[in-house]
Amino acid sequence: MKAVSEAAVPADVRPAAKRGSRFWTIALRNRYLYLMSLPFVVWVFIFSYYPLWGWLMAFQRFKPGKSILEQQWVGFDQFKTLFRDDTFYLVMRNTLAMSLMSLVAGFATAIVFALLLNELRRMAFKRIVQTISYLPHFVSWTVAASIVTRMLSSDHGVVNDLLMGLGITHEPIQFMANGHLFWGIVTVSDVWKETGWNAIIYLAAISGIGPELYEAAKVDGASRIRQIWHITLPGIRSTIVVLLILSIGHLISIGFEKQFLLGNNLVVDYSQVLDLYSLQYGLQMNRYSFGVAVNMFNSVVSLALLFLANGIFKRTTKESIM
Amino acid sequence: MATNKKWPVALMTTSLLAGLLAGCGNNNDAASDSQGAGASGSASTASASSGAAEDLKPITFSFYSEDGNPNWNNMQDDVGKAITAKTGVTLQAEFAVGDPVQKSALIASSGKYPDLISAKNSINKFVDAGAVIDLTDLIDKYGPNIKKVYGDELKRLRYSNDDHAIYVLPTYAGVGQTYFNAGGGFELQHRVVKELGYPQIKTLQDYENAIKTYLEKHPTDENGNKNIGLSLNADDWHMYISVTNPAFFVTGGSDDGEYHIDDDTHKVTYHYLRPEEKEYFRWLNHMNDIGLLDKESFVQKYDQYKAKVASGRVLGLIDQDWDYGDGEKALKAAGKFDQGYGHYSVTLNESIKDRSFQSTGFLGGYGIAISKTNPDPVRAIKFLDYLASDEGQVLVNWGIEGKHYNVENGKRVIPQDINDRKVNDAANFQKETGIGTYTTMGPHYGDGVKDSTGNYYTTNFPEQIEASFNDVEKDVLSHYNAKTWKDLFPNESEFPVKPWGAAWNIPVPSDSEVTVLDEKLKTITWKMIPQAILAKPADFDKVWDDYVAQLEKAGVHKAEELRQQLVEDRIKLWNE
Repeated sequence: MKAVSEAAVPADVRPAAKRGSRFWTIALRNRYLYLMSLPFVVWVFIFSYYPLWGWLMAFQRFKPGKSILEQQWVGFDQFKTLFRDDTFYLVMRNTLAMSLMSLVAGFATAIVFALLLNELRRMAFKRIVQTISYLPHFVSWTVAASIVTRMLSSDHGVVNDLLMGLGITHEPIQFMANGHLFWGIVTVSDVWKETGWNAIIYLAAISGIGPELYEAAKVDGASRIRQIWHITLPGIRSTIVVLLILSIGHLISIGFEKQFLLGNNLVVDYSQVLDLYSLQYGLQMNRYSFGVAVNMFNSVVSLALLFLANGIFKRTTKESIM
Repeated sequence: MATNKKWPVALMTTSLLAGLLAGCGNNNDAASDSQGAGASGSASTASASSGAAEDLKPITFSFYSEDGNPNWNNMQDDVGKAITAKTGVTLQAEFAVGDPVQKSALIASSGKYPDLISAKNSINKFVDAGAVIDLTDLIDKYGPNIKKVYGDELKRLRYSNDDHAIYVLPTYAGVGQTYFNAGGGFELQHRVVKELGYPQIKTLQDYENAIKTYLEKHPTDENGNKNIGLSLNADDWHMYISVTNPAFFVTGGSDDGEYHIDDDTHKVTYHYLRPEEKEYFRWLNHMNDIGLLDKESFVQKYDQYKAKVASGRVLGLIDQDWDYGDGEKALKAAGKFDQGYGHYSVTLNESIKDRSFQSTGFLGGYGIAISKTNPDPVRAIKFLDYLASDEGQVLVNWGIEGKHYNVENGKRVIPQDINDRKVNDAANFQKETGIGTYTTMGPHYGDGVKDSTGNYYTTNFPEQIEASFNDVEKDVLSHYNAKTWKDLFPNESEFPVKPWGAAWNIPVPSDSEVTVLDEKLKTITWKMIPQAILAKPADFDKVWDDYVAQLEKAGVHKAEELRQQLVEDRIKLWNE
């Protein structure tokens, strides 16, 4: 018991012996914590830093079978090809558009959903709703895409049957064949799949808000809406900001699963995304170097976005992750 | 108390660390293992041909194939056991799941190669990486049966004009292959032609009329579901099979992938640029306009398409039997034989001849290669030589004598009960017996070639095929005076043999510009062709002009020139 209570006392409260040995005293005292984090540091190094060595490939014309140092060096040729390619800009537009839409819609729905759930008084009902809402998260995109295309089908799809039954349209609408609808369809499917799951973290944050705040507000005569606005939302603000900054960092690397599975040739101008592009024009064509160049560009932009978002939030809301 | 508290923490830390280190350790072990195997491999090559007894010592080769094989049974099937007994070889197989080209690219770049590689067109990646060995000497020393099977075609095995090495034994194409049945062309349900009194189906107009007349009489099936006139399968690469390849067949072109090659001048054209093909797509546009084309053709996924076929509501298809076969199988299993499909040779007008069966000669290319890390290339080539032997080929195609076939009066006969299982319980039958599993692993003769006993090597021969038709099919065929669907198509003897084989089968050097150009052109084509078909008829020409303009901007003529060079190289390589 003694060890634990000792560790719990903040370091700066205790008298510091010497400036230089302070780090080591702390390190020694927290040796188990350091030791426990070591595997993860090693893990990150092996899987995130060590492969960076492969970035050299982007400046070469890489051919498999030879070591990375025996390759032909071509300078910035791969990047020149990339920036001269019209498809690349199209793909960038689609990627950014879809991820921004998902970001905005995803955040808004998850937060609103968490707030609404939090207001429910019947525990049993709340639990059921929550479980049902996050189930779709565990459905793979392959299945989800199938469900979506089936529902939006012009051949007895539920949505078209409903619209025609209500007399809103007379002809079935070709949802999946219309490029202008594609981004919307992807965003809505994404919201359906992830809202419940994303709300979990907000619910956790909300439950951390002290009940005395609500009681005080009630005494002062605040309505439910005012309680949400003045207590709940400010209470989870830092969670929201941290998550937002992190998602902005992932803005371009949105994967290609849903776009690939929901897309077809008619909407290809709206469905192609960066990750798919680097796969098709890189690895699949044996252009390993080109693929690396695309991904390097991706990483650099992601990093820049992350710092930008972090900086903006640091200034405006005083919340940040670094 | 304090020490008690610390124990779990320390334990957890050490176990996490240990787990991590173990993970890394394993990686290293695997790497050094394969290096060790490589080293011992070269050693055993040096001390090669050492007695036949040693040759049957059990050995396991890893094997990779781009083609999936859902009925693979780890060689525990009858044929697999027989092969192991004869050669001592067991294959540890891995089949590409998902996109095979991608999988091959990953393997080629990983540096860890399977012992035997069957990678179709992706083989160039392995050759470039120096991952596969030249087989010329091995065939010469240890491959008498391989030499016998390929005969004069051996020169078609050479890799390129600059590199005459043999990296691949072609195992997909059968030597001397004759086709006895047609699986492509335009399909109509038997109920359609039956109802209309077996009309002539030769031109697009005939085909359209048949569907139109039937649909007017029977807008719905007996359960009240709407019949669908014509459905196309445009999901991913199926686009080639069901939407774009028919364009050249209908207009008298031969299958050279995305390019058309002139018989005499060998001039290469991106095939969509042929003016007559525009007329084919105009016809599809018209079919869409009058409501005969399924509105979902370009949106549906492959499984939806198959489900639609299986529902029996689709009157007409333009596809290959292996592509829609799963759907038709379901219909047959349900006894709805009149909703199965017949194959008709349909062209733009009657003066055009369908070249579906124009001969390519023997097609080298797709086949099996031996990697440089193979522990014992001699055993590997001997294994392939066994598959190429008469005994091996009969085993692979027919199974085991007395069990899967009998010899009666010198003729190989498949007993009725075995044949019934083969047709009706195909998957389980293949899993148990292994018949059909090993065909594309070894060099072999094609359909229609007879062995020294006067029997066919394969089980596809006219009598067998005719016997496999159901009564409805036989009835429909008889009304068209045909024994098999192939009789409705122009015979291969009407056309010259293509000296370049087939353009789609010519490997492209991996750093060639063609690859990128082809991908760009493909993206444009796959986007614009559906748009042209779905456009209002009045806008068709406008969309088409836009399409051609986009192709030209993307460098279609440059692609043609590069392709031209590849075709000329191939003609030289195969015919000098």
